[in-house]
Amino acid sequence: MPPKSADWVLHLFCKEDLLEEIEGDLFEHYQIERAEKPKWRANLAYWLHMANFLRPFAIKKFGQHSNFIIMYSSYFKFATRNMWRQKMNTSFNLIGLILAFTVTGFIYLHLQQELSYDSFHERSEDIYRVAWMGDNPQTRTPHPLAQAMVNDLPEVEAAVSLSPIYGAGLTRQAVKITLEKENISFLESNGFFVDSTFFDVFDFKFLEGNPETALKSPFGVLLSKSMAMRYFGDKPAVGQRLSFDVNTDMLEVVGVIEDAPVASHFHYDFLISYVTLKSLNFNDPWMSWDDFGHFNYLKLSPGSDAKILESKIPEWVKSYLNWSEDGIASLLAGEYSFALQPIEDIHLHSNIRWELESNSSFSYLLVYGISGLFILLISIINFVNLSTARSAERLKEVGVKKTLGAHKKQLLSQFTFESLLSSFIALFCSILLIYALENAFNQLVNGNIVAADIWQSEVIVFLLVITILTAVLAAVYPALYLNSFNPGQILKGMDQKKIGGSTVRNSLLTVQLIAAIVMVSGSLIINNQISFLKSKDLGFKQDNLMVVDLNNYDNKSELIKSKLLTHSGIEAISTISNVPGGSFNQHSIYTEEDPSNTVDASEMFVDNEAISVLGFEIVEGRMLDKAFAADSAGTSFLINERAALELNLEEPVGKTLFWQENETLVKGRIVGVVKDFHYKSLHVPIRPLIMLVRPRSYNYIVAKIDGQQIRTTIPQMEETYKEVFPSFDFTYRFLDEEISALYNEESRTLLLTSILSGISIFLAIAGLIGIVSIAIKQRVKEIGIRKTLGASLSQILILVNTKYLILAGISLVVAIPVSYLLMAKWLDNFTYQNAINPFVFIATAIAALALIFFTISVIAIKTAKRNPAYSLRVE
Amino acid sequence: MKGTQLGEFEELVLLIVGVLYPEAYGLSIREEIISQTNRKVAIGAVHSSLSRLQEKGFLKSELAEATHERGGRRKRLFSITADGKRALEKNHELRNALFNQIPEMALKGLQLSGI
Repeated sequence: MPPKSADWVLHLFCKEDLLEEIEGDLFEHYQIERAEKPKWRANLAYWLHMANFLRPFAIKKFGQHSNFIIMYSSYFKFATRNMWRQKMNTSFNLIGLILAFTVTGFIYLHLQQELSYDSFHERSEDIYRVAWMGDNPQTRTPHPLAQAMVNDLPEVEAAVSLSPIYGAGLTRQAVKITLEKENISFLESNGFFVDSTFFDVFDFKFLEGNPETALKSPFGVLLSKSMAMRYFGDKPAVGQRLSFDVNTDMLEVVGVIEDAPVASHFHYDFLISYVTLKSLNFNDPWMSWDDFGHFNYLKLSPGSDAKILESKIPEWVKSYLNWSEDGIASLLAGEYSFALQPIEDIHLHSNIRWELESNSSFSYLLVYGISGLFILLISIINFVNLSTARSAERLKEVGVKKTLGAHKKQLLSQFTFESLLSSFIALFCSILLIYALENAFNQLVNGNIVAADIWQSEVIVFLLVITILTAVLAAVYPALYLNSFNPGQILKGMDQKKIGGSTVRNSLLTVQLIAAIVMVSGSLIINNQISFLKSKDLGFKQDNLMVVDLNNYDNKSELIKSKLLTHSGIEAISTISNVPGGSFNQHSIYTEEDPSNTVDASEMFVDNEAISVLGFEIVEGRMLDKAFAADSAGTSFLINERAALELNLEEPVGKTLFWQENETLVKGRIVGVVKDFHYKSLHVPIRPLIMLVRPRSYNYIVAKIDGQQIRTTIPQMEETYKEVFPSFDFTYRFLDEEISALYNEESRTLLLTSILSGISIFLAIAGLIGIVSIAIKQRVKEIGIRKTLGASLSQILILVNTKYLILAGISLVVAIPVSYLLMAKWLDNFTYQNAINPFVFIATAIAALALIFFTISVIAIKTAKRNPAYSLRVE
Repeated sequence: MKGTQLGEFEELVLLIVGVLYPEAYGLSIREEIISQTNRKVAIGAVHSSLSRLQEKGFLKSELAEATHERGGRRKRLFSITADGKRALEKNHELRNALFNQIPEMALKGLQLSGI
């Protein structure tokens, strides 16, 4: 359907007898456009063609001498003269509106984008991901689950199992893919194994190849459009061979599919069918029911209820799981469960272990949305308040017009016209600003909005509605109010002070102050919380620690360690499977005394030096030490305090512990307890952890570098690394940077809320200045008389300030509890919270009162200092 | 009657109306102009021209049946009047006569596409 708003405009001006054929043509043309172009393009074209009918032949005869034309051209003249005469006022008004419309437009686009994640699948409301809700919820479940559900449960129409290509330690692995004959090679990190049913569930479009067979043949690979472009350019890719890592020409390209849209919760570069894996190693335990190691997605038949299906799973799945009776019992009792996550909710609401990509969080979007609404509110109030306050000055104009026979309706339309003019100028400017600041905004919120999306009918209508609403609100009140006076009375000269409306203005001012105070105190609290997160002691060292990727296929970790240690810039060195801040694999552990109490523990394989290099604190027992044979054999365990607590161990050291790694059971002894440290981000609580020696699983070298020698040490390290691993690239990063990158979203939110609260203060103060300067103009005589009677400067300042300070006081009383409640709710999203500091509110209150007093005094001081002889002469 | 001069674009529209007879209406005329001449034309421009031609008496029109693809709206079908035919012929003759008067010399050595 073409945009209704455009039709409305057409009806407004188009001749009746031409309307039908014109509308018909436009409609027909729209259908043609719509068939091949995205909606916004078709809408835009519709608007443009519609606007093209603004020609003399089609426009209704308003008549050259009709009142309509003459009146509006005179309104236009009045409006521009008025705006021009009061440059200061006009620019305040316009800047406020432009800021508000721009901010609102941006936030609207951003929210729309974030809320639309994964909705591009045609039946996205029927697609669910199966997650595992245990002690430590995770996204991954067993591979056979997907197809078993399709076979056994009638509600499940299709299902797909997939997994990113993980390296050791379950970190995302970048694979070297090579096109041998052109010698083109890239490290590709977005590779996935997928079931052949991938396209039964997801709607990614096929560009080349046969979707029926593509995922059924072993050693076939499907490329994304952009990856195909990297290797083959515009040439057809299907049938070409690619090398996977060191396996020459192992893969054959069987198809090319479009890139996943930006608003997808995962993005692929290439897909390899599980068929390939199964043909290599049919009995891989990873493919069994024992390994919760795959992402399973279901498409339910239309109209089936996911909750009902979810509740059926435990009873159904128990026959497949080779679990102990205890395990099955707790599954049936609901202590653990398979949960169905709607795919559209994943991006905003799921933040559990092993998300495919880091998701956004709803709580931050909420902050953006509320801030946007507040700014809009503040600036609409500003506009309304200033227009009504100024209208008092136009009393004489109204009086003259009324005596000359102007209708009430005409006055109303004059005022409406004027404010529409301002608000549309503002809208126009903010659309330009949105285009200009598109990139800056995207960087700020890590978003990917497109400025041209404002022409989508939904967005543009929203912007038009707020523009028109603002204008009408600002016009109606003064017009009605001024209309109510008798023209004779007006022309005789009325005391301007008697012209009321100040109650309405002052209450609006109060609302505005409330919004500004909530925003300022809120952003202070957000600031406190985020700096709390960033400065919290994580329980390990991060400074000058360099993390180098280790390709430990040949077990050369000891060799490279000893070689690197010869450099003077390296103070200590260790090898480790996972660095803090990354993802961790987990398995269950239990003690010999109480085998029924199994605890899921994350695992970290470390060498003997890791504990001192990373500065973990041992609270009981000892560190791992190569003097003990059991330590090197991997049967001495370190556990963290949390694990000791969950295992109910009063004296853990010396106890025998079982570590169940998939099908192998490792029996060992606890030799020490590590003080709890935050090995994951502060978004999640500390979970049980087990540490042991296992040289074949080290993925990283962690080196403590002398801060003075960093520059010379890095090239030396690279040289040594190349000696040991000639075929691998030397890639490194610093641990403190890695850790702070975990809080990127927080840093961005902090910056954005600071900017938004800055804007809200600016707008509120601009509004205050406008109101107060008009109020003082009306009190010039009063001030003059008071001065002649002996009032001092400070007495006069107190006089003009009192009313506004009282208003500010009222606003504080309302705003502080509101802000407290809102922010307490927001803080609930965090595992580690910084309690709301009452000082925030005291500081906000003092700052607000001081700022208001200062602003009013600056405006009033000129009038108050003036010689009363001048002010009393004013008439 | 107003002036009987034909503008360049008006002449084009008039010709296309003839070409498309009896199915000539706003949108189809625009499509035909775009496909035959590669000119970008707005729907509004075509309608404006059509209404001028009708005022001059070169075109007549009637409303057709409502169709679904137009959201139930009727279309206005145009056809050339006797006056319109005469004006086209006049223009055609005038052009041919003028062309034939160009001396051979003036055209010598010019690429055909340069005319």
